Amino acid sequence: MTSTQALAVMVVAAPLVTAGLVIVAPSKHLTVLARTCAVATSALAVVLVSRAVKDAGHPLIGNWIVVDAAGALLLAVTAIVGLASVMMSPAYLHGTHSSFVAENHRDRVYYAVLFLFWAMLLAVPLAGNLGAAWLLVEATTAASALLVGFSGKAHALEAGWKYLILTSLGLGIALLGIAILAAGVPTAGVSGLAWGRLATFASGRSTALSAYLLILIGLAAKIGWAPVHNWLPDAHSQAPPPVSALLSAALLPTVLLIAWRTDRALAPLIGVSAAQRVLVGFGLASLAVAVPFLWRPMAFKRLLAYSSLEHLGVIALGIGFGTPLALAGVALHIVGHAIAKALGFYAATPLLAHEPRAARHAVSGIGRTAPALGATMGLSLGALSGLPPSPLFVSELLILAGGFESGRPWPAATAAVLLALGLLGLAHATIDTLVGKAHRRNVEQPPGLRLVTTLGGVSLVLLLGLTAVAPWLSGSNFVDAIVRGVP
Amino acid sequence: MNGAMGWLLVGLGLGVVVVRRRSIAVGLVTTQALVLAAIALRQAGTASDVVAGLALAARAVALGALFFVAVARSREAQPLRARVTPMVRAGVAVVLILMFTALVPAFGLTSRPAERAVLALVATGLACASTRRSTLFQVLGIVLVENGLALAAIESAHASSVIIELGVTLDLTLIVCVAALFHLRIFSEFGAGDSAALRSLRD
Repeated sequence: MTSTQALAVMVVAAPLVTAGLVIVAPSKHLTVLARTCAVATSALAVVLVSRAVKDAGHPLIGNWIVVDAAGALLLAVTAIVGLASVMMSPAYLHGTHSSFVAENHRDRVYYAVLFLFWAMLLAVPLAGNLGAAWLLVEATTAASALLVGFSGKAHALEAGWKYLILTSLGLGIALLGIAILAAGVPTAGVSGLAWGRLATFASGRSTALSAYLLILIGLAAKIGWAPVHNWLPDAHSQAPPPVSALLSAALLPTVLLIAWRTDRALAPLIGVSAAQRVLVGFGLASLAVAVPFLWRPMAFKRLLAYSSLEHLGVIALGIGFGTPLALAGVALHIVGHAIAKALGFYAATPLLAHEPRAARHAVSGIGRTAPALGATMGLSLGALSGLPPSPLFVSELLILAGGFESGRPWPAATAAVLLALGLLGLAHATIDTLVGKAHRRNVEQPPGLRLVTTLGGVSLVLLLGLTAVAPWLSGSNFVDAIVRGVP
Repeated sequence: MNGAMGWLLVGLGLGVVVVRRRSIAVGLVTTQALVLAAIALRQAGTASDVVAGLALAARAVALGALFFVAVARSREAQPLRARVTPMVRAGVAVVLILMFTALVPAFGLTSRPAERAVLALVATGLACASTRRSTLFQVLGIVLVENGLALAAIESAHASSVIIELGVTLDLTLIVCVAALFHLRIFSEFGAGDSAALRSLRD
């Protein structure tokens, strides 16, 4: 085992060990233990990511472990969002009194399941073969469904149930596609499903196309692409805010990476154009479904959920267009979306304490009654809407330019119109949140506000930094490595 | 696997789609899983095949026990009346089976009847999950899909990875355990394991 492989194993093992530790640790030390181990996990992940970026031209390819540029990008996002989610969790736990489990075990179970979920999420981008990737994605479902329903309230149970059943059935369909691939590759065992070997599938183009469609449709249910997105707004709005952040900013794009790698691996068999058309179709459908909801007054977390549908659609479009310009946009979009979306969900913890109606209704004038909270929410919504100088404005431009460059002017033009409509809808929500009519509210400082404000400051710097580096991204070694994919 | 076994597996799956009582459906699914384990052990050529077959048998027994406990702990005054009649449910399942077998070409299992049985079981599971109101029947739909995929692994022309096979078995068992937990919580919250009660979150 090389040192990079050992490091990859440690990145996944660290949260797994932590999940075990929080089960046996004394209650009074739980928060400190969770935060310390989260810092250690993220530090290990950052070291691995820095190695992957440094050696972007020479990815580590194995049957079980892959460390490549695209994987490193998702690993970095998952590590940072996971760390921030653990940091925000005490504020959530402090402000909630109901749960799926008995009160005296609540915090312990929450942290154990959260770290298990995080471990599986960190492992997905490192999976060296399609079979292992599927196993890990399915494992995230079990852990995250428990977290979605964690509050134990009727709505949370409903959301958790929909999420569990719809994504499990979707992943079952994806597994059928994988079984078809496994039966048709000449190499027996796990190495037959290694990313680089999938192209050796020998049962013909129509069978490969069937397998590809089954895998993509199945994964779409987990990614939350329209029209199989029904669980997404419910799960994101009912999950604890730190979990919603992980679901939206890390889980969805991580599963999308598996769809992307499958697409890359099978494109030579089914035709690049056919593979790209499927992704562009999912992208446009997701945008078309999401945009009308961005115009409606809606509970804050639910609005963020529909924004996830929109942004996952944008990423699908970028991958579908497939040019270096579009893929540079995809890389930028994944990171920018993760920062802005996670910040929005973290702001939901103090928001719900400041204005309990926000759980079910649209809120306005938060900037008037809680300026720091309003500014954080405004930053998140403004960045997500794609208002300049948000990096999402630049990434969307890159993806649209990539669409025209790839010879798909109609999908690119349609996407441009839908994105403009989405921008207007979210910009309206941003203004309303900041300076709309304010109701009488609890004036005490809500739990987690100081940390959320700090995260808001860090996010602002990161978002502006991303916008600043965006012009140099296309043509960089890192994006070139992403374009090449897993050889 | 001979054709009769394929028909038996599909027949058991269709039974789950049409029966009214949850306990009978659990019995049918458990029988189906045990038949699969028996096929796997009969066709086992290597030690790892035997391990995979035994894992399937263990899963069948464990899930059967789990489901019977779930049924016992969520007794309903009378079975939930599904929105669609048994004949319509069976019709939906048959249409899905025909669609799957017509659309998916031969994909390299040991025989075409085995491939059809796999596709039929997956289609039956989808029909069960989408046409039944009872939350327990929706979980049984997932198990039917899993059983179809287990058959695909058994009937694969060349050896697949035993680690992946065991991982899939473990993963899906975990999912069913979480689903059973949700079923019990939904029953205690709403007074029935009825998915029709889970429709308040809409835009």
